[in-house]
Amino acid sequence: MTTKATDTPKECNEFQQELPNFFDTGEDQVEHPHLKTCENCSALVRDLEYIAAQAKLLLPIHDPSPAVWENIHSALLKKS
Amino acid sequence: MNDTKYDSNSLLRKGGTHIDSKMKNTLRTTETMAHTAPAEPLTAEARPIQQHQRRNPPIAGELAAIAQAQQGDGASFEILYNMHKRRVYSLCLRMLGNVAEAEDLTQEAFLQLHRKISTFRGDSAFSTWLHRMAVNVVLMHLRKKGLPLVSLEETLEPTQEDGPRKDFGTRDLALSGSIDRVTLERAVEELPPGYRMVFVLHDVEGYEHNEIAVMLGCSIGNSKSQLHKARMRLRSLLRQKADGRADA
Repeated sequence: MTTKATDTPKECNEFQQELPNFFDTGEDQVEHPHLKTCENCSALVRDLEYIAAQAKLLLPIHDPSPAVWENIHSALLKKS
Repeated sequence: MNDTKYDSNSLLRKGGTHIDSKMKNTLRTTETMAHTAPAEPLTAEARPIQQHQRRNPPIAGELAAIAQAQQGDGASFEILYNMHKRRVYSLCLRMLGNVAEAEDLTQEAFLQLHRKISTFRGDSAFSTWLHRMAVNVVLMHLRKKGLPLVSLEETLEPTQEDGPRKDFGTRDLALSGSIDRVTLERAVEELPPGYRMVFVLHDVEGYEHNEIAVMLGCSIGNSKSQLHKARMRLRSLLRQKADGRADA
């Protein structure tokens, strides 16, 4: 896949202006005509898809300090 | 209004799993609702539930703990806290980027959970319900501080870095396979607050743009735009980190 001379920055610009809506169409993004000829925009889309996919895998890795439960416990005891 | 009795003795009782007949009925009702709820048209409110249930599968013993906590059992509430504290705290921390604030709001979210747990009917996954509560606590906190949930500067004045032209002529560096979760987590922390908020809500937590728009008081288009800019900024940050590793 290579960038043809016809894939001017103007075409890339127009394509990238559409990108905020691009991922919500439910269509197969690879089928977009511009991506069949533009390596840069293809790489961009792959990266953005990869970031979105990796974000879904982010695990909750942080634990609150024990003081959080102690404060909750105290507050609930006061209420009761 | 809190009408749940809080039993200080039961708080200290570990592993209190006795279920009396009344609780069994409550539990059966809750489980029945969870498994046999009639199909309903997907509303904007209900649609993300499927995604959240996929990403937040039920935890063993959760239904029993909910039923008992709804009856005022403090030990069961503590069990629920231990089941969900990491997820709620991580959500608060990712949205706020500040440990002290994240801990305060985790505390507030669970106190609110205690006040409202009797209203949980099992229409959605408990974790979905709780996480939405935590998100609202964080957003309320930011509004009270007078902070814009979506930065006007970020919305109206995209930097060159965010613009599409940056990618013209740049070398083709595919991120795929080059970043680990810790690196991504650190890059998310570096995002400007407005970008980070939408990115966490959409890409990490799985909310849809229509929901985010309601939560943040912005348009759906604005939410999409902020998310796109967040991903673009992350791409830039991740490339920098990859370059740093390569140069080292």
